[in-house]
Amino acid sequence: MAVPVKQTEAPEQRPPASRLGSLARKYGASLGPPVFAVILAMIAGAIVILITWPDKTVSPFQNIFNAYGALFTGSYGSFASISTTLVTVSPLIFASISVAIAFRAGLFNIGAAGQLAVGAMAADMVGLTFTSWPSWVLIPVMLLASILAGAIWAGIAGFLKAWRGAHEVISTIMLNWIAFYGTDYLINSAPFTAPFGINQTIALPPQAQLPFVASLSNQIFGTQLNTFSYTVDVSIFFALIALVIYWFIISRTTFGYELRVIGQNPKAARYAGIPTKRNIFLVMAIAGAFAGLAGSTRLMGQPGYELSATAFSTSPTGFDAIAVALIGQTTAIGILLASLLIGGLRSGSTAMQAIAHVDPNLVLIIEALVLFFIAAEFVPVLRRALPAWLRPRFIPTLQTTTIDRTIVDQPEKDNGDAQNVYPAISELEKEE
Amino acid sequence: MFFQVLFKALTSSNTWETTLTFAALLVLPALGGVISERSGVVNIAMEGMMLTGAFAAVMITLLFSNIGVSNPLSIILGVLAAMLAGGAMALIHAIVSINFKANQIVSGVAINIFALGLTSYLLFVLTPAGQGVPSLPSTLLLPTLSWGPLSKIPWLGTVLFQQNIVFYIAILILIAVQFLLFSTNIGLRIRAVGEHPQAADTAGVNVRLLRYLCVISSGLLSGLAGAYLSIGVAGVFNTNMTDGKGFIALAAVIFGKYTPLGAAGACLIFGLGYGLSLPLADLSSNQYLPTLLSTLPYVFTLIALVGLVGRTTPPAADGIPYDPASE
Repeated sequence: MAVPVKQTEAPEQRPPASRLGSLARKYGASLGPPVFAVILAMIAGAIVILITWPDKTVSPFQNIFNAYGALFTGSYGSFASISTTLVTVSPLIFASISVAIAFRAGLFNIGAAGQLAVGAMAADMVGLTFTSWPSWVLIPVMLLASILAGAIWAGIAGFLKAWRGAHEVISTIMLNWIAFYGTDYLINSAPFTAPFGINQTIALPPQAQLPFVASLSNQIFGTQLNTFSYTVDVSIFFALIALVIYWFIISRTTFGYELRVIGQNPKAARYAGIPTKRNIFLVMAIAGAFAGLAGSTRLMGQPGYELSATAFSTSPTGFDAIAVALIGQTTAIGILLASLLIGGLRSGSTAMQAIAHVDPNLVLIIEALVLFFIAAEFVPVLRRALPAWLRPRFIPTLQTTTIDRTIVDQPEKDNGDAQNVYPAISELEKEE
Repeated sequence: MFFQVLFKALTSSNTWETTLTFAALLVLPALGGVISERSGVVNIAMEGMMLTGAFAAVMITLLFSNIGVSNPLSIILGVLAAMLAGGAMALIHAIVSINFKANQIVSGVAINIFALGLTSYLLFVLTPAGQGVPSLPSTLLLPTLSWGPLSKIPWLGTVLFQQNIVFYIAILILIAVQFLLFSTNIGLRIRAVGEHPQAADTAGVNVRLLRYLCVISSGLLSGLAGAYLSIGVAGVFNTNMTDGKGFIALAAVIFGKYTPLGAAGACLIFGLGYGLSLPLADLSSNQYLPTLLSTLPYVFTLIALVGLVGRTTPPAADGIPYDPASE
C-alpha cells in the first residue's frame, strides 16, 4: 500500500492456536456477552419474583422454579408448544433482520413496528380486493405488496437520512405512529372493515392463507399430524430463507461489504468512493422490506388472524426485534438463536401465568434488562472487575456505541484522515 | 359544511379547554426532553418515564388515602412519588448512557420496555387478584383551579381560568426552563455541554454532573406529566395508558427546534389535534376520522425534519457519550 499505515494500537498478540481452538474462541467471543447478559437478566427476573412472590401458596423459591419451569415447558416443553413458539419466532426473525441490516450500516431502524404494520395492511388490502385470484397468484402478490409497502415506508426514513440529514431514529419513530394510526383508520374504514363495528378487517379468503407445516407434511409424507395442535405455518421456512439471504447480502456481496464500511467508518466509506447516500437509502428500503414481510407472513400464516385496530401499536414484535438484533450481535445465526430465545419467552409467558401465577409482563422486564446489560457493555465491565485468574476470555464484538464514536473519533487534521481510513478497511478485510 | 364545522369547533371554548389540557400534558415531558437533549443526552424514553409516573401517582395516592391520610396530602405524596419514579427511570438512563457510555437509543428503548413491563407486572402483583386499580374518586384527583371572578369571563374563563392546577404549574415551569436555558450561567453551561463537551470541560464545567442533572430533571418532569395523566385527566391507571404521548412530546421537542418555547408551541399545535378530534368526528360518516387526524403531529414533525418549514438541527454532541480521553 502506498499510504503508510499508522497503527495507533498494537494488535493483541495471541499464540497460534489449533483451527478448532480458534473457531471456539471466535464463536465464544461473540457468544459471551449476550449469553451472560441473558443469564444476568434471568437472575434479576428471579429476584423480582422472589421479592413480589405472586403465588403465596408455595414458597417464593418454589415460585421461581415453577415460573421458569412453566416458561420452559410452555415454550419448548413439547412438540405442540415448540410449534406455537415458532409462530411467534417467524415474524420476529423477519423484523430482527430488518433491525440488524440497518445496524450493519450504522443506522438504527427503530421503525420495524411501523414497517410491519404497513406491510401487513398492504397485504391485507390486496388480499381483500382480489378475492377471486387463485392462490398461486394471490400469495406472491400479497407478499410483494408487503415488501413494497415496508420498503417505501422505511425508504422515506432512509431518504431523509441520506439527503436531508434527518436522524433515522426520529423519522422512524414518527413513521411508526403515522403507520399505527393510519392502519387503524384503514382497518375501521370501508371496504376493509368487518361489519358490526368490531374494529377488525374482514377475514382473508382461504386461498390467501399460507399452509400449515403440519398439513403440508400430512399431504406430502402422509403423516397424521393434528393441525389443531401444530399451528406453525410455512412462514417459518420463509424466515429461515430470509436469514440465509441476509447472511449472503452481508458477507458475500459488494453491497454488504460497503454497508459494513459505512457502519464502521462513514468517513472511510466516503473516501473510498462508496456511494454512501444511495446505500443508506437502499439499506433502509431493504430493512423495511424484511419488516413488511414480518407483517404479511403473520397475517397470512395464521387463520382467523384479521387485522384489528390498535394491534400494531401494542404489538411487541417491533421492540422485541431490537432486542433480538442486539442479543444476536446482528449475525444471521445469532438472530436465529436470539429470536428462538425471545420468542420462547413470549410464548412461554402464557403458561407461566397459568401454572405459576406470575404475570407475563415479567418477560418484558427481563427483556429490558438484557438490553441494558448489552447496551451498557456491562459484561466486559464486570469482567474487568474480576480478578485476573477468574476472568473469562472473551471480547465483545458488537459495540453499539461505535455507531456514534466513529464519527467523532476521527481527528479533523488535514492529512490525518487519509492515514486513518486504511486501517479501518484493512481491519474489515481481516475480519472476513 | 366543512368550514362551518371547523369554525364552530375553533371558536368553541370546549375545544380550547381540551387543547390546553393536552398541551400541558405534552409540554412537561417535552421540556424535559429539551433539557436532556440540550445537555447532549438523547432521550426517547419520556414515554416510559411518564408511564412509571402515572403508575406511581395512582398507587401512592390510593395507598396513603387508604391508610387514612387526608386527601390533599395523599395527592401531593402521589405527585411526589410520580416525579421520583420518573426520576428513577431517568437515573437509570443517565447511569447507562453517561457512565457506561451506552448507546442512548438502546437505553431509551430499554427504559420504555422496562417501564411497560414493570408497571404492568406491579399492577398485577399489587392489586387484589390482579384486577387493576379502580377509578379514583374525584376527591383524590388533582384539583381544578378556579380563579374566582376571572373564571366567570364568558369564553376566556373556561379556557384559561378553570384549568387543572398542573396546567398553571406547567406554564411556570415553561417560563422557568426558558429563563434557565437562555438567561442564566447554568443554562449556558448546559448548552455548551451539549454542543462541545470537550471545550466545556476545558473551561471547568463538570460535564457528567450537568448531564446527570439534566437527564434526571427530564425524568422528574415526565413523571409529573404522568401524574397529571393518571390522577388528573384520566382518574385511573391502565396498562400502557400513555399510548404514545411520550413520543408526541419527543416530536414536539424536535418540531420546536430544541427550544422550550418552540416545544410549547408545538405542544399547542399537537394539543389542538386532540381538541379538534371530537368536533371533527361529526364531519364524516366515518367515526374513525380522528384516528387519521392523530397522525398529524408526526406528519408535521416529519415535514419539519425535511426542512420545509426551517430545518431542525440537534445540538452538536447530542447522543455522543462524553469521553474525556477522546481528545
